[in-house]
Amino acid sequence: MSEKLVSCIAEMQEEEALALAKELLSAGTPPTAILDDCRAAMEIVGERFEEGQYFIPELILAGEMLKSISEEVKLHMPGDHDVKKGAKVIVGTVKGDIHDIGKDIVVFMLDVNGFEVYDLGVDVAPQVFVDKIVEVKPAVVALSGFLTLSYDSMKETVEAIEAAGLRNGLKIMVGGGTVDDQVRQYAGADAYGVDAMAAVALANQWTGAE
Amino acid sequence: MKIIGEKINGTRKKVKEAVLSRHAAFIQDLASAQAEAGATWIDVNAGTPTDREPDDLVWLVQTVLAAVDKPLCLDSANPAALAAALPEVKQAPLLNSISGEQARLAGVLPLAAQAGGGVIALAMDDQGIPATTEGRLAIVQRLIGETRAAGIPDGQVYVDPLVMTIGASGDAGRVALATVRAVKAEFPEVHFTSGLSNVSFGMPKRSLINRAFLTLMLEAGLDTAILDPLDRELRKAMLAAEAVLGIDRHCLNYTRAFRAGTLE
Repeated sequence: MSEKLVSCIAEMQEEEALALAKELLSAGTPPTAILDDCRAAMEIVGERFEEGQYFIPELILAGEMLKSISEEVKLHMPGDHDVKKGAKVIVGTVKGDIHDIGKDIVVFMLDVNGFEVYDLGVDVAPQVFVDKIVEVKPAVVALSGFLTLSYDSMKETVEAIEAAGLRNGLKIMVGGGTVDDQVRQYAGADAYGVDAMAAVALANQWTGAE
Repeated sequence: MKIIGEKINGTRKKVKEAVLSRHAAFIQDLASAQAEAGATWIDVNAGTPTDREPDDLVWLVQTVLAAVDKPLCLDSANPAALAAALPEVKQAPLLNSISGEQARLAGVLPLAAQAGGGVIALAMDDQGIPATTEGRLAIVQRLIGETRAAGIPDGQVYVDPLVMTIGASGDAGRVALATVRAVKAEFPEVHFTSGLSNVSFGMPKRSLINRAFLTLMLEAGLDTAILDPLDRELRKAMLAAEAVLGIDRHCLNYTRAFRAGTLE
């Protein structure tokens, strides 16, 4: 493990981090070790975000660094080495709503905490959620919405999941600026969360990781 | 700059609780405080689910108007809620809002034409919020075509260029500013508005960013804004910027504020 690489990434030193990663790879460091360092750095970034020291820009920059380092790593890796991942979670902002930042933070934090996350984006129709559930068979589905109109979309999405016979055994959480227990009940979800940390806690609880 | 007082918004937890429990005094205190602090319009947004929003918005309008004598800004994406609330107003209300989203435009534009108090027009459509100035301008051009066709004079349209958070994209501020300039150049009669605080979402010390953005937007042509009239620092920044820009004739508002002790 390269403490220096972990530190460069965690300290948002973009250029140094990529240069160091390239250097280490050329010197023969195993690509998986580089990816482990990235993961360790992402955990630090996630912690600092939880503590209120890092903000959205840092999460985005961390994501960009991870992407560029991963691309370097791929050049050195024969074949496809899948990073070991935990339970599957599908995340998306529901139909009629395009608010994405909160959802993106949830995606980042779930990913950093070891979940395999499928981000469907924004304004996602109920059928798109259903199709993805059929495809990847997730343990958890997370619905995001900020506008009050999104509550209806959340309800329709849960109903579509039920109609497709997929509700049993699936855990559904809802979240977004104004979501509360009343909205959760209205939508027919299993739980709601007030922030990304709550999403992680719920996902851990439901997948037995806690 | 004229202020649309933003505090009575159901996306704020305490307001939502007051709406659900019909706590009139809480809402009326917010309305009075904003009116006294100089808001021109009081925005009302119920923030409750679609099935009950019309009733909640009606209650909000009745409650607020029992306490203050100001035009309201009726804030809902749900035409049914706006339609229910319209008969309750005393002065022509500003409608918040239309956009390029088909259902919203079709539902809200006729109400705006009928109400005659102005309409806020958002630079977005069913594809979302364009990332570029050109994209937003194209939507605004289309919307102004629609408002003119509906008989609404340009002077009753309040274009919101929409601002994304600088936390997520570095050019968020610049695109909003350039959009205001471009629209103003083409449509000199329209007004502008902005939900300023969006610019700082997810950032620390948000009010510093909001103040910087407000100052720059005033230069670009912003003449109204949706904000907290009780935010003293924001007011001070606004007064100073308007004095510097020569919008505040003979700096009278500025010196008046000084004498009233509100520049402290």
